[in-house]
Amino acid sequence: MNPDSSSMAPRIAHARDFDEWRERARRLLMAGVPPPNVTWRDGDDSHDDLFSSPPASVKPPSSREPSSTSIRIGREQLALLRNAARYRSGKGEQARWPLLYRVLWRWVQGDAAATHPADADGRVLHQRWHAVKREAHHMHAFLRFHRRDDALGERYVAWFEPAHDVLDLGAEHFADRMGGSPWLIATPEGGVHWNGSTLDYRFPCPAAWTTEARTAAERANADEDHALWRTYFVSTFNPARLNHKVMTQHMPQRFWRHLSEGDLIPSMEAKARHGGQRLAQESSVGQRKGKALPPGRLASHRPPPASDD
Amino acid sequence: MELIDKLSILADAAKYDASCASSGAPKRSSRGKAGLGSSDGMGICHSFTPDGRCVSLLKVLLTNFCLFDCQYCVNRRSSNVPRARFTPEEVVRLTLSFYRRNTISGLFLSSGIIRSSDYTMEQMIQVARSLRETHQFRGYIHLKAIPEADPKLLEEAGRYADRLSANIELPTLTSLKTLAPEKELGTIHSAMGHMRQRIDAANDDARQDARHPVRSNNPKRQAPRYAPGGQSTQMIVGADATDDRTILQSAQHLYRDFRLKRVYYSAFSPIPERPAGLPQAAPPLLREHRLYQADFLIRSYGFQAEELLNAPGNLDLEIDPKLAWALAHRNDFPVDLNRAEPAMIARVPGIGLRSVQRLIDLRRLRRIRYQDLVALRCRLDTMRPFVITQDYRPADANLDSTRLRQSLTAPQPAQMALW
Repeated sequence: MNPDSSSMAPRIAHARDFDEWRERARRLLMAGVPPPNVTWRDGDDSHDDLFSSPPASVKPPSSREPSSTSIRIGREQLALLRNAARYRSGKGEQARWPLLYRVLWRWVQGDAAATHPADADGRVLHQRWHAVKREAHHMHAFLRFHRRDDALGERYVAWFEPAHDVLDLGAEHFADRMGGSPWLIATPEGGVHWNGSTLDYRFPCPAAWTTEARTAAERANADEDHALWRTYFVSTFNPARLNHKVMTQHMPQRFWRHLSEGDLIPSMEAKARHGGQRLAQESSVGQRKGKALPPGRLASHRPPPASDD
Repeated sequence: MELIDKLSILADAAKYDASCASSGAPKRSSRGKAGLGSSDGMGICHSFTPDGRCVSLLKVLLTNFCLFDCQYCVNRRSSNVPRARFTPEEVVRLTLSFYRRNTISGLFLSSGIIRSSDYTMEQMIQVARSLRETHQFRGYIHLKAIPEADPKLLEEAGRYADRLSANIELPTLTSLKTLAPEKELGTIHSAMGHMRQRIDAANDDARQDARHPVRSNNPKRQAPRYAPGGQSTQMIVGADATDDRTILQSAQHLYRDFRLKRVYYSAFSPIPERPAGLPQAAPPLLREHRLYQADFLIRSYGFQAEELLNAPGNLDLEIDPKLAWALAHRNDFPVDLNRAEPAMIARVPGIGLRSVQRLIDLRRLRRIRYQDLVALRCRLDTMRPFVITQDYRPADANLDSTRLRQSLTAPQPAQMALW
């Protein structure tokens, strides 16, 4: 292969996921193709792929393994790239693969600052990683399982709409958390099922899974413990400290729709604003019959408390 | 009484405890095991109530019957509130049910004192034991430690709990005497001391285990754990006349002497049937916020309580304590970010600990320029008068602190409508 001539030809490269991107990027780097000469496309297209490969790599990639040792990046940098790749770019934002390839290119050229948060590219990577971490955390926190118990046995199902590609990060977390209980998570993109011992990912999410998750959420009221949770949420709220801004900072409104308690929030706020804010106590508790206790005595070796009333 | 009614009373009664953290637990997983629950050291806030507080744990009292008559407390015996009592099985049931639905990461159980301190503590331990042993629950458990209870019971509580807490509530002896006649500061301190010893010893054992791993995976062969998430406490702000300086010094003393993980500050919330002698209005939540900021500076930034408040009084409500300190120590500024020690960079208002680390990393690669501070999203407006970079020196370095403060706190000029 002759990198000098082939590296200047424009390339089209496809990647469905990070590992595919990594393999393509490795080959492009070895062929010495600079970032502006590569057009990256999301997804899989084996026809286009013929053009993307440099002539020499018609051979299976495994036969060229030895030379891969020349491209080395640190574990931390790899984690940064891998996690930033989970970010779904919005309108006007850079697509993931060209950004990643440019940073990798710079890094291999010896520009260590490329992954630093003060660098123009590094900053974007770090911001994306941060957004991804935050979204994975949102999934751990705000996903709600609904209990189903029928002919198929007891299981927990959830519908969630992640803003970035964090389904697997959530799935691993819930496998640790739920132990032997089977569960199912459906999202607009993919779905994952845990049978108590293994994870089964499906892209796209099977229609049956989506239906099951949607139905369970709609029938939440059939579950007695759903009402208990909502009662708890109302009672643990302190109306004397109403603070809408902090709540929405931590729990963006887009999640409320699928929370078991989300629809309670507006009325709780309204009630607190209209008089309930005077006391920390929930008004329904205040309306119950109270009971002051007679001065008692501690049944222990401690001296009895001095009576003060 | 129905379970749902008990829950509404006993959750309402427990909300005055500010803590709801589920962090600091060791890594646990239920994958491939009987039982339920995991922890990884990071806390999870599963929801936020409209007061902006995190809901991480099922925070309830076992009962709000109480023999004590602490004036600031809604559950004091003379208070005319509805009373209820959970059975231990009910708390276990609620915890497991909420946990499976992913609405909580564990349980924070506290209780009014009934019959005796020992009896009450035993009841709470029974809940934790049932969760851990009968149901193999590996989620987070925070238990309230009753200082007057037998040390043997605190010992047992620490075996099941990730965190223990004994609340100071009022930081001075006199306040405690007038407002909480049955509580004794000495007893609270000795319980904290006892817990500290057990936590330290368990941590030493854990380190030994890490150095010489036990071959067997059987947890019984490994060193027993004791409240691996450490202990915490709470102080009420604004129920008495205690000033911020006393509160912060007291917190600093607790961090040093008992190695507390956290001190929580809870602005006194107005309660029904307020006893005489308690303020009518709650203190500004901003005061509580400033205390948390100062607390963070003491725990993580190397500040002393006396540096933040060098005379009796309260923290400045208008500006944050770090900016206040910088304005009072203009001789130490501006700080050259390319030369200064990390500890000094951490004292610059507008630069947080994460940015400090990033600046240190960056200056190993190249000189720091002003644009880097923009890229790192430091609080430029606050920071500008206090730093030097390769291409920047503050023009207002010689401005006196009073005028600098005015310029930093001046309201932003509002844009005029259609001139």
